[in-house]
Amino acid sequence: MTEPERPDPLAALGERLERARRAREGGRRAIEGGTDPSSRAAMGQGFRIGIELVVAVFFGVALGWAIDRWFGTRPWGLLVFLFLGIGAGMTNVYRVVKGLGMTVGYKGDGRGGSEPGKGERGKSGWDDDED
Amino acid sequence: MAAPEASPLHQFSIERIAEIHIGRLDLSYTNSSLLMTIAAVLITVLMVAATRNAALVPGRLQSLAEMLYDFVAKMVDDNVGEEGRQYFPFLFTLFMFILFGNLLGMIPYSFTFTSHIVVTFALAATVFIGVTLIGIARHGFHFLSLFVPHGVPKVLLLLLVPIELLSYCIRPFTLSVRLFANMVAGHTMLVIFAGFVAPLGIFFFAPIVMDAAFELLEFLVAVLQAYVFTILSCLYLRDAIHLH
Repeated sequence: MTEPERPDPLAALGERLERARRAREGGRRAIEGGTDPSSRAAMGQGFRIGIELVVAVFFGVALGWAIDRWFGTRPWGLLVFLFLGIGAGMTNVYRVVKGLGMTVGYKGDGRGGSEPGKGERGKSGWDDDED
Repeated sequence: MAAPEASPLHQFSIERIAEIHIGRLDLSYTNSSLLMTIAAVLITVLMVAATRNAALVPGRLQSLAEMLYDFVAKMVDDNVGEEGRQYFPFLFTLFMFILFGNLLGMIPYSFTFTSHIVVTFALAATVFIGVTLIGIARHGFHFLSLFVPHGVPKVLLLLLVPIELLSYCIRPFTLSVRLFANMVAGHTMLVIFAGFVAPLGIFFFAPIVMDAAFELLEFLVAVLQAYVFTILSCLYLRDAIHLH
């Protein structure tokens, strides 16, 4: 004859563990994210895009300005490199948003060309939130 | 360029500890150099002490060292692949140096050497030059194919190649600015909030609570930025080795 219905001690333990885990999870969220964990990730992404765009434009302008100074081609170097910088910044932002990682060129990651899987892993490793 | 004592930026000012001038070069030993020395010594001590009496079942120190080692080794394996193994010593050193720099900066009244663009840019430039040289050494002239996108009409190449070239050259700048900006922003914010404590009177606890929360966040950022810097270096290295 089987035992009468008795609460399984392991089940009770599992339930307690589950509760403790959830409480810990909640606490960690509160510490890390302020309120909403996704908002922090979004902020990190936004910060990164900002840096990407601004630095590219600055670099373009600085390079153009320096070329003008060295070769006396004012204002053409500045003009050309300003727009190249904006272009480079936008390409980089496009890559960040598309999750292509920081690779130069559009090939590789998306097409699964030479290194299948590598790109995927690299991408997921990089796409962690960051600010 | 010293900021006034109460300024939130005062914490970043460089102070000379020992004046050293060679010719016209100012090679003074500063608080920044001191913290770098401490970081290097601590890393060496940690790794040497942890592995000297290496046991099969690691003790506390040894497991810490092994965890750090495994973490970076896995990162290199995942992102660069087999060929990345030979560059592991450099990447591990890079990670540890930035990590210790960031974490030592979290000690009150200490100094964060990663909060200076000179330092982060020197690190980023080393990575950039190294990666470029590795790429050229491995692929020779073919390395330049990195800048030519596939399947693009010939006319557009005139526009796209300079853009690719520029976005390649920008790498050390974004890499260094990211680390530098994160460290400066976080540490400045902590001091600004701390500055609100006295003026707020009976509400003094509000900025203290904020600061406590940000302090935790800053620890997260310190580790995360070391990780981001290293993983981006790995991705650049992968580009140079595999060329897609």
